[in-house]
Amino acid sequence: MGKAPATDRSDRFYELSRRRAVPLEELAGHAEEIARVCLRMAERFRAGGKLVVFGNGGPSTDAQHVAVEFVHPVIVGKRALPAVSLTSDVATLTGVAVREGFAETFAHQVRCLGEPSDIALGLSADGECENVLRGLAVARERGLLTVALAGGGGGRLEADHVLATASTDPLVVKEIHVTAYHLLWELTHVFLEGAV
Amino acid sequence: MMEALYPFLSDQRSEVDTLAQVAESTREKIRDAIALRDRVFEADSARLADCAEAMAERFARGGRLLAFGNGGSSTDAQDLASLFVSAAHPLPAIGLTNDIAVITALSNDVGFDVVFSRQIATFGRTGDIAVGLSTSGSSANLGPAFAEARRRGLLTVGFAGGDGGAMAASRDIDHLFVVPSSSVHRIQETQTTLYHVLWELTLELL
Repeated sequence: MGKAPATDRSDRFYELSRRRAVPLEELAGHAEEIARVCLRMAERFRAGGKLVVFGNGGPSTDAQHVAVEFVHPVIVGKRALPAVSLTSDVATLTGVAVREGFAETFAHQVRCLGEPSDIALGLSADGECENVLRGLAVARERGLLTVALAGGGGGRLEADHVLATASTDPLVVKEIHVTAYHLLWELTHVFLEGAV
Repeated sequence: MMEALYPFLSDQRSEVDTLAQVAESTREKIRDAIALRDRVFEADSARLADCAEAMAERFARGGRLLAFGNGGSSTDAQDLASLFVSAAHPLPAIGLTNDIAVITALSNDVGFDVVFSRQIATFGRTGDIAVGLSTSGSSANLGPAFAEARRRGLLTVGFAGGDGGAMAASRDIDHLFVVPSSSVHRIQETQTTLYHVLWELTLELL
């Protein structure tokens, strides 16, 4: 466990930095799409809808992060907006998983809690999570606005808006998603307030 | 004239204008996010490598990681713990915000300031690692947590933002990483990158 020479270290950190900068630049290329998603989200909130968020593993913590972002804004004076993370209800999650299988977890919760005026946001690092796919499908059937944040080019995810990064590194995908949902929160408020 | 006759035209135009402005501000924020990461890597790469070495030494001797934070940072703490537990060669780690029964019991019976310090007193052993995250650096329950961790001989690692707040003045934190930004969002995003890098570097040493 010896120390790496300084030049090796600086090469290493250059690589770590580029691994993030490239997909972030790619995200900037989706700026128009992000703006359109936020306009649609603001319409839903204005009509009394709420945000329902879900994902597995690391993204399950992002689902909770998104919920707290909307419910308790970090910027003083911004409206609290209703948002729930489906991953916080461990009783329901494990209950549905053991009875109906893990693929049904989010679909079951969306069927029970989702209303047509709501927004469903599904996160998947590789775009292949079966329960996220099914959750979004049920949300679409019920008339919710569906938004997906994905890695791996989007995988098999289907939604009204899929914001996908090409990166397949789950750590980097998560970092892109954190920036993406911070932007979704901030810009939704811009449209809600009707001013830029 | 046209707009007076058809007010929706101006509505549509203002929607198009707003979308364009919002898209431009989105690109600007992302440029900020990239620049901030570069600045932090520039300033902290040697210290990140040192911290990973210290963490790897603790894990190698049977140490465990205890992670904590409030709000969005609580989800980062849970994510970091889960990354170690879910690694190809799993390492023991616990997110101290995972158990709502414990959090609400301590808050209700004693006070929110002790929710992490009491758990560190219960779970923490000499040789463990305590990782606390705060975007301001001044969360009231982090100070007591780092103090308890230090008392028990844990390695202490902190992530803060802005000027580092109370954490920058603390003598209880062995490795402190401060993200110099006034935006809570940009701080949080950069902290995510930092603990991801720390995780990756630590695993490489084991």
